[in-house]
Amino acid sequence: MNDLTVVRSPGFYARRRFFDNKASVFSGAFIILLTAAAIAAPLITPSSYADQKYLDEALAFPSARHWFGVDNVGRDLYARIIYGARVSLGIGVVSALASIAIGVPLGAAAGFFGGVIDWIVTRIVEIFSVIPPLLVAILAASLFGGGILNIIIISSAFGWVGVARLVRGQVLTVKGREFVQAARAMGAGSKHIIVRHLIPNSISPIIVGFVLAIPQAMMLEASLSFLGVGINPPIPSWGQMISDGLYFMFFYWHLPLFPTLFLAVTVLTTSIFGDGLRDAFDPTLKGK
Amino acid sequence: MFTYVLKRLVSLVVTFFVVSMIIFSLMHSIPGGPFDEDKMPLSPAAKAKIMAQYGLDKPLAVQYVRYMESVLRFDFGIPYQSPGETVVALLSRAWPPSFLLGGLGLLIGTPLGILLGIAAALRRNRPVDYIASAVSTLGITVPIYVISLMLMLVFGVWLKWLPTNGWGNPVSWILPVAAYAIVPLATFARYTRSSFLDVLNKPFVTVLMAKGLPYRTVIFKHVLKNAAIPMVTIFFPIFIGITTGSIFVEQMFRVPGLGSYFVTSISKRDYPLEMALILLLTLMVGIAYIVTDIAYYYLNPRTRIK
Repeated sequence: MNDLTVVRSPGFYARRRFFDNKASVFSGAFIILLTAAAIAAPLITPSSYADQKYLDEALAFPSARHWFGVDNVGRDLYARIIYGARVSLGIGVVSALASIAIGVPLGAAAGFFGGVIDWIVTRIVEIFSVIPPLLVAILAASLFGGGILNIIIISSAFGWVGVARLVRGQVLTVKGREFVQAARAMGAGSKHIIVRHLIPNSISPIIVGFVLAIPQAMMLEASLSFLGVGINPPIPSWGQMISDGLYFMFFYWHLPLFPTLFLAVTVLTTSIFGDGLRDAFDPTLKGK
Repeated sequence: MFTYVLKRLVSLVVTFFVVSMIIFSLMHSIPGGPFDEDKMPLSPAAKAKIMAQYGLDKPLAVQYVRYMESVLRFDFGIPYQSPGETVVALLSRAWPPSFLLGGLGLLIGTPLGILLGIAAALRRNRPVDYIASAVSTLGITVPIYVISLMLMLVFGVWLKWLPTNGWGNPVSWILPVAAYAIVPLATFARYTRSSFLDVLNKPFVTVLMAKGLPYRTVIFKHVLKNAAIPMVTIFFPIFIGITTGSIFVEQMFRVPGLGSYFVTSISKRDYPLEMALILLLTLMVGIAYIVTDIAYYYLNPRTRIK
């Protein structure tokens, strides 16, 4: 048997397609590095996020001692940005998980059962797609107060819609396949078909939906914090740091610049990573 | 087609009422009212009087029915933060700057995005393509206020070429318009590229080339027309992006438009203004949705068969 006839698993080709994509590998590496930094924050930062240890150096520009400078109330900006990564990544990942937990069962049920359930889920999805999410998020954040938990609830309340739509579409196409009919002919119940056949066959849209829900939640948190209804100070959030830094932009440009760069690069790399995963799972989309 | 549009309009009206109910109850359940001590130092008697004047002492359901009644008469009430005028007057005063800047951004960004997407598709895997994909990824993923801030830092603070805020002088419009234009530019560049590549590989393009039609005619007449179909569907997300983007862009560039009222009306518990803004936006988004579907229907004959 020569090399040409070796049959590899679909996972092998998916991995190879993923690792061939330099941009998404680099993005993945950045995300891992940032996650590690966020976890190890107390070990790699000179002070905690709320310590006003450097009041005499307030507004100092970046230097060897303070990599990103010092803010207006004497806090090390590098420390605040690394602790801010905890908030950003934490909210992103937990909201994405919650969106999956709500969206997968609803989308699967809508696609599988059709009829009234499908009608109800589709109507809810329709209402959510007409309401501008940010406005209602501002309202909800003013109602329930900011804070990490509330932002997670708000962003998963909007995040599940996209996941449900993806899963519903996938279930609708898988439902008609022969092996599902075979399972039903052999007497399998709805629960068995959904859990054993439909959800495993929808796993790649679920993973892609998960990864793409992360930057969305991070953006929502940053936007709300930017508008002053998100994370409450002194807990650092990049969005809140950008909006605070705006006042100092003309003379102390480092205050808005560094949180802006981190927010932009993190959102960008998570999205590129998600796109890379989607291309790896779905070769027909490659090159588009 | 007529029954389809009618059905969509009926469903829009139903959605509109559901949304108005949700927003109305959400809004009124936020603790604190528009005439609390921190906003207006009033004696309890004066506060009770003003609450009664605006009907805020009635049960919520009564308030809602009254409100919707007057909305149907196109009366959106009086904004608490500027009681000298009506909500309609305030909105008609505030919308021209928003409309002008957002519209200019859309008008400039859309053709540029389409051209960039076409260039990227025709020169695949060459520098233009890489630039196009960098610009579109950046524009789609990075929030609009980050882009605005970058523009302000580079052109306003470091190079000192352009003013970062103000409204009187058209020169000060350049940066906000550029920030708005990024949204359609990025999105159109990405979708034009992918739908162009789809169409370029179709056999009919090869046939047209083979029979000796000029290259330009093939690209701009036949390919563009066919590639336009999927591009119509992304107008809707771009529209939402620009409208919600105005909240940030107008705050950052100090534009006296609608955007700033979205946030202040919520923090000041200015119920009439807030309801009017959200209902207006919901209606616009809903109509944009239907218009997109109708345009899609006319552009793509295949959807008419069923």
